[in-house]
This record gives sequence, structure tokens and C-alpha cells, in this order.
Amino acid sequence: MIFMFQSLAAMEKYSMNKSRVARYARLAAPLWAAAVLCGAQTSNASAEDVIRFGAPLPITGPLAPEAIKQQQGYDLWAEEANKAGGISVGGKKYKVEIVYADYQSNTPRAVQATEQMISQDNVNFMFGAFGSGAAKAASTVSEKYKVPTLAATASSVQVYDQGYKYLFGTFTPNDTLTTPLTQIIKAKVPEVKKVAILARNDLFPLAIAQEMEKSAKANGFDLVYFEKYAIGTLDHSATLSQIKSLAPQWIFVTGYINDLLLIRKQMVDQEMKAPIVTMIAGPAYQEFIESGGKTAENITSASWWHPAERYEGKDIFGSTENFVKLFKAKYKSEPDYGQASAALCGALFQMAIEKAGSLDRDKVRDELAKLDVVTFFGPVRFGANGQINSLDPPVFQIQGAKPVVLFPEAIKQGDLKVGVN
Amino acid sequence: MTKSNIALLVLLAVVASLPLFGGAYALRLGTIACMYAIMALSWNVVGGFAGYPSFATAAFFGFGAYTAGVLLNKGLPLWLCVVIAAVTALLIAAVLGAALLRLRGHYFAIASLSLVEVLRELVNNATDLTGGGMGLNIPLGSGSGVLAEAMFFFYAMWILLLLTVLMVMAVAGSKLGFGLACIRQNETASSMVGLNTTLYKSIAFGLSACFVSAAGGVYAAWVHYIDPSDVFDILYSVKPIVMALMGGLGSPLGVACGAFLYLGLEEVVWRNYIQIHTGVLGLIIVLLLLFLPHGLISLRPANLWRRVKHV
Repeated sequence: MIFMFQSLAAMEKYSMNKSRVARYARLAAPLWAAAVLCGAQTSNASAEDVIRFGAPLPITGPLAPEAIKQQQGYDLWAEEANKAGGISVGGKKYKVEIVYADYQSNTPRAVQATEQMISQDNVNFMFGAFGSGAAKAASTVSEKYKVPTLAATASSVQVYDQGYKYLFGTFTPNDTLTTPLTQIIKAKVPEVKKVAILARNDLFPLAIAQEMEKSAKANGFDLVYFEKYAIGTLDHSATLSQIKSLAPQWIFVTGYINDLLLIRKQMVDQEMKAPIVTMIAGPAYQEFIESGGKTAENITSASWWHPAERYEGKDIFGSTENFVKLFKAKYKSEPDYGQASAALCGALFQMAIEKAGSLDRDKVRDELAKLDVVTFFGPVRFGANGQINSLDPPVFQIQGAKPVVLFPEAIKQGDLKVGVN
Repeated sequence: MTKSNIALLVLLAVVASLPLFGGAYALRLGTIACMYAIMALSWNVVGGFAGYPSFATAAFFGFGAYTAGVLLNKGLPLWLCVVIAAVTALLIAAVLGAALLRLRGHYFAIASLSLVEVLRELVNNATDLTGGGMGLNIPLGSGSGVLAEAMFFFYAMWILLLLTVLMVMAVAGSKLGFGLACIRQNETASSMVGLNTTLYKSIAFGLSACFVSAAGGVYAAWVHYIDPSDVFDILYSVKPIVMALMGGLGSPLGVACGAFLYLGLEEVVWRNYIQIHTGVLGLIIVLLLLFLPHGLISLRPANLWRRVKHV
């Protein structure tokens, strides 16, 4: 910009008395120069022994809290990898560098940031944008450039239904969350018959609500209510009183953490009670338990990972316990599935690059597709569409201000408690 | 043809030479620049010429994106989808305009704003047709390579911009443009002397919608995935107004320059201030409007100096 104003001033000296056309030309030229500069400005050539990973994140805007989590996961991995000397490629050690960009919680910007990172910042590999919608939109760019992309937080199968070769995701499909939950409740609380579903009208929350609808119908529940609320809705009282009048025994709400806290609070205001209340995907976060306080008690949820899991991994973090320990040492808080999945994506890239013994994008892509390993996150194997298909996501319930795992049996910590007041 | 119109066409020709200088990312910026300029110039027809502060740009952009997106999924060729999007937007806007444009000032602004919300909710709830909040996939074109595709969409958007410019020039030089200027200055008086103000305003509103809608159609094919909160983003209504103000209200050349300047600022600030870019951009815009209340078009050394002293 400074350049622009300087050139404007300089040009003005020479053409004080020229015609109007000259004045307009003078106006247009620096603008054009600025535009070309912005576009053509090439970034510093990547240093010899560094591998650059691009991470477009919603650092500002409504999804900002999610971006922080992802960033923590990536940073933890980069720190650990660099502490060990870096990633070894064909006997040579490369340091890890993560390039961040803010896409302002705005999907078109995520697409733009992805192209900028690939074509300007010369990143070697990409992490996906946050959530299913943005990850899907941005993946069209990385697919065009044939850059392997690991999406840490995209679970909806619709993200992977485009036949893309370079996109991989570490979250299992949505039905792997709803099916075990439905089965547990059917077995443990037979009096639950009527189900009400309230979903945020957004890619992931709506997709998981539709899965829930399928699971509920398949297991013989009576679906009495299914509505969507718009993104950014602040007043849910009308919808909630409608649900209350139907007296469902199971209330299933989807959204992101802020939506869910708001809805929970308004449910309390209306004195809504039900044997089972399930919320996805907020309760897995420590913030939900802290902000929800007593009202968070007995809320059930499911997520893709839980710190109580015990896997002995072959990745850089090793065991789940070790990952939790490292995370706590760095950030002084309990990790949740968002942070763990981000760190996992880094660790997976590291394994694939080391196996490929090369930074060649196609070779690394092939190694990612072939991966079949146990990690701190659980066993990792990608299906033909690029989505992970080897995980058993845990079902849990908030009991005594702590998430207690109910499923899978191997890591079970307690039994389902009935009654949410 | 006036000198400023010639200058505008020259500017467009310069923009068309962009592929000679830059790679795929420069082309992406160029495509966005053309899209912004289409929006700002279209807004100028109803906002600048007729003086009606319309916030409906996002409504027609989203409408075009979804019309083209749905039709592309049905297997229609892109050009046909874009034409259909433009024509339907023209008709719908003209008909809606006949009702909406009876409101004036703030009332009209709010009504046009609600149009965005109404269309967004319609798209959100027509899950079977549009995918609702889950968004709409648009099939990838043939695998013609990164640069070829970037080039294709850049020129598609550029041609739309050229058509928009020609439309704006034609309007400015015609009886319609004169009529709109009369409406801006005193609508009651123009109506008294026999000007069919409702007809003129409706045509202006329709014209301001049709190219925005066509741009939405090209945009949808370009990004391959749209969802309601992205294409019905209220910022698409606000940005064209800011661009027009920055460039110079009413002057097509100024508005086009304003659009390019805005994009340049947005890009530079976004790159350099990862956390506080929105704040910095806002500050720059406020400063620009403070020192250049009549936009870039009023940029004259003498004026500038006087203004600095004045402030």
C-alpha cells in the first residue's frame, strides 16, 4: 500500500495539468500495480530442510474457539516432531513448519486461503479446514493441485463422496456415533419410546441428526419431532416449548458448543425434563462441563476420541497416556477429540512421509492410502473414499462433572444414568 | 462516449491482460476482483443512479449461485445455467422491485435486506432440492488442469464484467439514466412531470440484479460447493456499497476502481495481520472515507491538500 501511495504522489507531480483521461489513467495504474503485486508476490523459496504444512483455520469469527483447539494439536505435534530432530526422509532430517492462515469462519475464504498456501506459500502438504463444510469446499482446490490433505474435523460422508484421491479424514462417519448410542439406550432404558431431534441447519449437525433419525427408526423408536434451527439462532424458546408439549423421553440436539450451551440453558428456563438428553458435539469439551455446571449432569454424547482410551500406538506420541501427559504439560488442560485429531493428522503425515522416503506428493498420498497402524488415537485405516473406517468412537455421559465412558466395553468407566433435570 | 467511459474500458482491457503476469492465485484474485466490480457496478445502478440504498445484492448473488448450481447438477451446460440465472433474476427483481421500490429511504433499505433473509431461509428449508444447510455439491468440470480452469473462470467473470460495464454505460447515457437521476434528485417532482417512476425504478432494480445473479452462477461453478450461509452472506450486500463509496458514488469508473482498491486492501491486510485484519481494514476504510468523501474519483492533488488542512 505504501508503494501505491508513493507512486500516486510521484505521478501527480508530472501530470498536474493533463486532461481528465490522464487523471483516470493515473488512478488506474497504481491500482493495477497493487493488484499484480499482490498476486505475483512470490513467497520466500522454502528452505532446504523444512517441510511446510498449510493449515487454514477460522482464527476469527464464530468458529474461533475451534481454531484454537486445532492449532494446539498441530503445534503440539510440530513441537514433538522437531524435538526428535524432525521428520526423516531418506536418511535426512527435515524440520516441521506449519503455515497458518485465517479464513474468518467464511468458507469462500477457506478455499482462497488453501489456494494461496499451495501456490504462494509453497506448502508441501495441507491440513483440511475446520468442519465438514469448509473442509469439503477447500478440498476441491487441494485436489486440483494434487496435494495430499488430512482433514482433522470432517466426519460427514458427504465430504468424501466426490471421488477425491488426495483427501483423507480422521473422523469416522456420523452413523458410528449414533448407532451405538441408540443401541445402549434401547437396551438400558426400555421405557424410552418418543424421540425429538433438534438440529442446527449446517453440514455436520444436520447430517448427524439425519443419521440419528435413521438409527432411531431402525431401532423402533417413535420420532415425534424433527426440526432444524438456523445458524446463529439465539432464541430457541418457541421450538423448545413445542418439544416440551410433545413430552419426548429422549431429546437429541445437535450443534456446536455455543449453540448447545444456549439451548441447554433455555431448556432449564422452561423446566424441561427428560430421561435422556443427548447433545452432539459440545459436551466432549471441558468448557461445556464448566459453563454448563449442574445442568450438564447426565447429558449423553458421543465423540471420536476420549482421553480415557488406552492405545499403544506406533506414532510419535506412542500411547494415549503419553499424548495426554504431553498435552497437559504444554497447555495445562485435558485434551479433547478436536485437539487429538489435529495432532493425529500431523503424526500420520509424519509416518506416511517417512515410509515414502520422499516428499513427492503422489508417493506420500499412496502411503497414506495404505496406512494400517495403531496410534494413540486408535487404529487408523482409510477406506476407499479416504475416510477412516477403523475406529470405535466412544459414547459417554457427564457424571459428577466428568465425562464417563459407556462404550466401547474395553474402556468402559461406568453405567448409563437416567434423568436430566 | 465520455472520457471516463473510455478510461473504464481501457481499465477493463488492462485487467484482461492479467494472465500474462500472474499464475493461478493471481487469476483467483482477478476473478474475485471482476466479481466485486460486477456487484459494485450493479449496485450503482439502483444505489448510485437512482439513490435507493439497496441491500439486496447478496440475495441475487445467492439466487444466481443456487439457480446455476441446481441446474448444473441436472446436467445443463454452464453458459445456459448462467443465462437462465440472469434472466430469472431480472424478471423476479423487476416484479419485486415494483412492490419494494414503493418504499423509500430506510424503509427500502430494510425491505431489501429482508429479501436476503427470505431467500436464504427458502434455500435452507428446501433440503431436497438444495441440500439445505448441508450445502450443494457442483460436479467438477473436466480435468483440464489448474491453470486452464483458473483462466476459464477468470475470463467468464471478466466477460460478465464487460457486459455489466456496457449495461451501466448504456443506462447512464440513455433516457433511463436521466430518469433515474431525476428520481434521485426529486422523485415527487419527476412523477409530477410525467415520468413513470415505478417503471424506471423496477427496470433499474432488475438490471442491478441480473448480472449479480449471473456472477453468482459462475461463482458456484467455480468453487464447486456452496452453502446458504456463504452465498447469502450479508457482506456481499455491504461490500459493494463500501466499494462504491470508496470509488465515488454514481461514477462507473470510480466504482470499478473502488472495487479493485477494496480487494487490494482486503488482500494485503488479510495477509499481513493474521489476528486483527478486520479491524485494520475497517480503520483504513474509515480513513479513506474521511479524507476522500467523494471517493477516488475526486482525487486531485489540490483538493487532497485542502482536505488534509481542513481535517
